[in-house]
Amino acid sequence: MPTLVENTGQSKVSAIHELGRADFISVRDFNFFYGKKQSLFDINMDIPEKQVTAFIGPSGCGKSTLLRNFNRMNELIEGVHHSGEIQLVGKSIFDRNVEVIALRRTIGMVFQKSNPFPKSIYENVVYALRISGQTKKSLLDDCVERSLRGAALWDEVKDRLHESALGLSGGQMQRLCIARAIANRPKVLLMDEPCSALDPIATVKVEELIRELKQEFTIIIVTHNMQQATRCSDRTAFFYLGKLVEYDNTHKIFSNPSEKKTEDYITGRFG
Amino acid sequence: MSEEAARHILSSFEAALDNLRKDVLMMSSLVSRSIENSRKGLLDRDEDFCNTVIADDEEIDLLEIQVDNQGIEIMLRFHPFASDLRNVIGAMKTSVNLERAADQAVGIARRARKLITLQALPETAHTEPLLRHTSSMFNDAVKAYADGDIELAKTIKSRDKELDQLNREFAESLTEKMPQNPDSIRGFLELIFIARCLERIGDQAKNIAEDTIFAVSLKDIRHTAGNSNI
Repeated sequence: MPTLVENTGQSKVSAIHELGRADFISVRDFNFFYGKKQSLFDINMDIPEKQVTAFIGPSGCGKSTLLRNFNRMNELIEGVHHSGEIQLVGKSIFDRNVEVIALRRTIGMVFQKSNPFPKSIYENVVYALRISGQTKKSLLDDCVERSLRGAALWDEVKDRLHESALGLSGGQMQRLCIARAIANRPKVLLMDEPCSALDPIATVKVEELIRELKQEFTIIIVTHNMQQATRCSDRTAFFYLGKLVEYDNTHKIFSNPSEKKTEDYITGRFG
Repeated sequence: MSEEAARHILSSFEAALDNLRKDVLMMSSLVSRSIENSRKGLLDRDEDFCNTVIADDEEIDLLEIQVDNQGIEIMLRFHPFASDLRNVIGAMKTSVNLERAADQAVGIARRARKLITLQALPETAHTEPLLRHTSSMFNDAVKAYADGDIELAKTIKSRDKELDQLNREFAESLTEKMPQNPDSIRGFLELIFIARCLERIGDQAKNIAEDTIFAVSLKDIRHTAGNSNI
């Protein structure tokens, strides 16, 4: 149900369509440690459904660490531990009965450096389906077309699906990785600086894709590019030294942040 | 004024913002001087002051263009956010209002020059309260901009209403005198137009104050009745 939200003190300047839960992902009193070194301190935030949330902050502030906690990727690192809670649609992702592999199907991830498998474009997209035992060609074909269309790549590759994915351009590879991530129909897409290795044209194509994908997925994007955060995101979280300093509508953060640290960072007075 | 912000890491960005601000403050000084010179030209029947106002307008016009170009350049190169963005937009909007105020000062100077060719009218001295009020409003609006002083800016709106009232009363008083003073009608009309110019300078001062409040606090009080809820 569309609602009007006041962006400034007195005037209603835009409407934000709230399509789902405000606490689709909920983080409560979350602390994270790499061995003895604490890298996240008392994080509390709610990430809304079917919106784009950007994490910004200087290098080493913990934004990627928090991102990788959402699909428990950090558990691949020895010696990590945490306290506090992360919930997805009201259920803890750390529950004993949560299967990590299934969780990572629900929460897809795209990395800074695109990492297509050394396989065909087709096999890249259907990889997750194949390893889960799916063999029916019609289903696999449908998945490929749906996912590549969803990633705005279908028209460019539909005539060479069985060629190597490594022959694609950098921007195409990244969109292929997005197609691969959405093939599983995840609920959430995590994107860790997805455009930092791309040229400007490829970047805007991915940004346009993000805008379209948020109609179906909840997206969290880590970015060093503040202009990208303003273009792509609905909400922005600013992190500094492992703490969440400020979290609000993107318009608010970049026009009139409440915290001086946020203001200093986004205006280039430190970082 | 909030605590002083640290300097930008990018020194070219810092310098560009400094230069933009300096140009706007230079413009405001020139406009303030023009308003004062137009006052002297009118009250002292001094054509030299009137000519100075008209001549100085060119420099003010050029500064407006310069401020616009600088503002666009800053937005293009540095993609400012938050207070930086508001300050750039505020500077560009303020320069427009300053230029318009200068145009009104030119209007006063031109009509004062005409009045000098006519017999002196005692009613000319009756413009003094309007001149004082306008000058005070304008200078305070500019000071509010320079200092980021929201409290001072908030006072301008109500003072503009007072100026509007003074203008109406002045025009009415001269209109009432016209039937009894047919030889002075031309002079009275020039004075009425001068009062109108002052009223418009007051409007520009109000705009500058509103833009200052927006630049400092992101509160938009344009088209509101008063200065509540700021």
